[in-house]
Amino acid sequence: MKRQITLYVNGEEHELEIEPNRLLLHALRDDIGLTGTKEGCSIGVCGACSVIVDGRLVSSCLTLAAACNGKEVTTIEGLAKDGRLHPLQQAFIEYGGFQCGICTPGQIIAAKALLDENPRPTEEEVKEWMSGNLCRCTGYYKIFESVMAVVHNKLSPDFQLKRRTQEAKIQSLDVYKPVAKTD
Amino acid sequence: MAKAANFSVVGQRVHRVEGFDKVSGEAQFIADIKLPGMLTGKILRSPYPHARILHIDTSRAERLRGVRAVVTAEDTIKRPWGAFFADQYILSVGKARYVGEEVAAVAAIDADTAEEALDLIQVDWEPLPAVFDAEEAMAEGAPLVHEDKERNIALTIDVERGDVERAFAESDVIVEDTFQSMPQWHCAIETIGSVAEYEPSGRYTIYMNTQTLFNARYRIASALGVRESDVRIIQSAVGGGFGGKSCDDNNALVAAVLARKARRPVKIINTREEEFLAGSRPRVFMKIHVKLGFKRDGRIRAKHVRVIADNGAYSAKAPAITGVAAMRHDTCYKYTDVKTQAYLVYTNKIPTGAFRGFGNPSAEWAVEQAIDIGAHALGIDPLDLARINAAEPGYVSPHGNRVTSCELKQCINIAEKLMDWKKKRADKRPNTGLGFACTVHVSGKRHFGDYDGSSATIKINEDGKALILSGEGECGQGAHTVMCQIAAEELGIPVEDVEVSRADTDLTTFCLGAFASRLTYVSGNAVRDAAAKVKAQLLEQAAEMLEANPADLVCRDGRISVKGSASKSVTVADVARARLFRHDGAPIIASGSFDADSVLPDKTRYGNESGAYNYGVQAAYVEVDPETGQVKVLDYVIASDCGTVIYPIGAEGQVEGGFAQGLGYALIEGLQFDEGRPVNPNFSDYRIPSMRDMPPLRHAFAESYEPTGPFGAKGLGELNMDPTAAVISNAIFDAVGVRIKTLPITPEKVLRALREKEKEEKH
Repeated sequence: MKRQITLYVNGEEHELEIEPNRLLLHALRDDIGLTGTKEGCSIGVCGACSVIVDGRLVSSCLTLAAACNGKEVTTIEGLAKDGRLHPLQQAFIEYGGFQCGICTPGQIIAAKALLDENPRPTEEEVKEWMSGNLCRCTGYYKIFESVMAVVHNKLSPDFQLKRRTQEAKIQSLDVYKPVAKTD
Repeated sequence: MAKAANFSVVGQRVHRVEGFDKVSGEAQFIADIKLPGMLTGKILRSPYPHARILHIDTSRAERLRGVRAVVTAEDTIKRPWGAFFADQYILSVGKARYVGEEVAAVAAIDADTAEEALDLIQVDWEPLPAVFDAEEAMAEGAPLVHEDKERNIALTIDVERGDVERAFAESDVIVEDTFQSMPQWHCAIETIGSVAEYEPSGRYTIYMNTQTLFNARYRIASALGVRESDVRIIQSAVGGGFGGKSCDDNNALVAAVLARKARRPVKIINTREEEFLAGSRPRVFMKIHVKLGFKRDGRIRAKHVRVIADNGAYSAKAPAITGVAAMRHDTCYKYTDVKTQAYLVYTNKIPTGAFRGFGNPSAEWAVEQAIDIGAHALGIDPLDLARINAAEPGYVSPHGNRVTSCELKQCINIAEKLMDWKKKRADKRPNTGLGFACTVHVSGKRHFGDYDGSSATIKINEDGKALILSGEGECGQGAHTVMCQIAAEELGIPVEDVEVSRADTDLTTFCLGAFASRLTYVSGNAVRDAAAKVKAQLLEQAAEMLEANPADLVCRDGRISVKGSASKSVTVADVARARLFRHDGAPIIASGSFDADSVLPDKTRYGNESGAYNYGVQAAYVEVDPETGQVKVLDYVIASDCGTVIYPIGAEGQVEGGFAQGLGYALIEGLQFDEGRPVNPNFSDYRIPSMRDMPPLRHAFAESYEPTGPFGAKGLGELNMDPTAAVISNAIFDAVGVRIKTLPITPEKVLRALREKEKEEKH
């Protein structure tokens, strides 16, 4: 029997009527039309379907949409604002953190979940955390560099996506500056 | 060696042209494509490795609410198709030959309905004796996978150059051994998929995540029994190819047959399990026996290789792959007398096929270990042995491969320095060891007809921006960025002013697609040719505007001026508009073409197969835990000769990504079969490397210039997948004195080998 749920996706309210066994992944992709979240393995191993639900990183292929009723969901589409990229998105372009791009939304979402919680992770913490997101193209070296570039504030301040008419400067380089923490 | 000039775009750390789309989630991959009225297709697969189909009853499935079409072989022309041998059908005809083979299919309004309908299809099977091992399949009396293939042999190669028997007689040291490689799956994070539409006029439009559009079009047209012009292939963004998306499988064909019957667009996306069972064709597994003869000073005098390759149930590209495994490595070192014998054998398993390296990883796994065994037998440092034998510019292999640029020796020197090889070798700690191997690959390969070329069209828009129309296969490797850089360099405009359109067989000229590390070299040359022609048109028009001679004009940063007087200038946009908006106006557009200076090998397989050869060296420093057999890679270095590096971020990514796949192949990737059925077709059992598995890596590119390449470039994509397994194995031998001869090198195998060695030493 279908039931009514409300998802707050990237700050937008979505009322859905879904089967109780509807996966969050399919609700996002097929019911709401946000196809940035990808299906890679369907068993919660590859991380391509990663999204953030109420601040927690989850595999949307293992999460029931109904269980997210009333919750905030962040997908890759929620990161760029008004054509301005999130620092992690800029870093992945600048440091070549993707090739084919299919795992990239999941990689960036996973890194965001980490940095939201811990803006200054160690190299080991990054490697451990990001090991839940498989990539078959890059060998991970450039994904690692991309994440660390944000951690160490090494993004180019002059970065511009000249290919796009809209201004695509980054949101702010200071997003992940620790608030009141001494190194 | 010619030196790279000062390029303004080539060699710059430009960003990926489709970068925004890929980091924002906007890129449209095949699963993201939705057409009005689109149905979901699902495939019924054989549960048996070998079984006759007595009867198929689809009536109950057809009656299910929401089902729009059910198809079997009766809905096809039953014409076999295939890249080299036509031996597979869209849907099983008469019998199925492996677990996972497509038997019937359903198109329905949603996935659940389609799945339910599959359960309602009744197939009466008569299981047949099956054969799973290539050597058993070659034995007299083995079950035949294809009735007309005696002893299940799909292909035999038997080639001798020089006098191998005499060469061995003249050798001072002879080594030989047998090495077994394993199947390896591409594991692109995106599975194979397609969306097919059929117009009642008889035309198919198929959206595919293929890396080879025009080859796909040819094969699909032939299997459907229509003309090439009746099939339009439009490429979606491709979520990783690695050879697996080169249209050797039936996904798009089944979608097309369903779309025709349902008269609605049909989408079929492989599940991960389907991808393992019958999607991307995994690396051909081979048993390779190598015998090498050396002179006392280290020169290789003779080589004899015997290959038994497991074709699986259908051939895909395995015939060409077997040829590469048998012969390609003879372009790495200076050989004179070589003999190679290879058998490609049908079994009742998934068809094997093209995977990055294309036979080379299996061959180098064997040959580079045999070379290492030779180095130990001769008492020569493996690096020095490689130096003695390394190919050089001007080398012609015994099979006719003509080497133009070759910086293999430079690569050896780079790797030696990066690894600090001599010092590490001198201060060897217990249970640590150094391994090393060389590698060679092509930049395109002439084997689909007598053509190894590419073509491209460039047009200049009214705003001065250039658009490249190319039907080559961007599959994530960054080919489009390389094309944009080459066009921008030739035209003299900013790289941001160049875009590449989506590949579409209706709109782009013929291109073979992404395989054989060919795009930078082959399509790069075609794009450069098109850009040169476009530039001539621009300069001609600008000359009129500037009242100058075209030969006196230069274009820099999108502005055309008279040499030496920069004050008088026009922009490319001004020129494009002036040419168009006038009496007798015309757009600025040109097509370019290139065909490599290679030849289709003759009946004896002699002939220069590629326009250029890429070389590389890898070295590992490992530590083996004698208690657990665990191998830890402490340090890894790579040196690559790909000519001029056009797109550094992309080139580095190719090295790093190729190495990661090589490392997976070496240490962890493997799939157990039980009676022909893969028992672990998922990502939790078939492990691929994750970030924490990657060891420290340093790599560098040789100073190199390929005279026939665009701005001196040649191929790179596959090179660094090829030697890694042998490098690791050689390092393990150096560390603990045991040699692992079957892939993957698991801790269990190392431990067992250590125990056996201990036992032998006690006796």
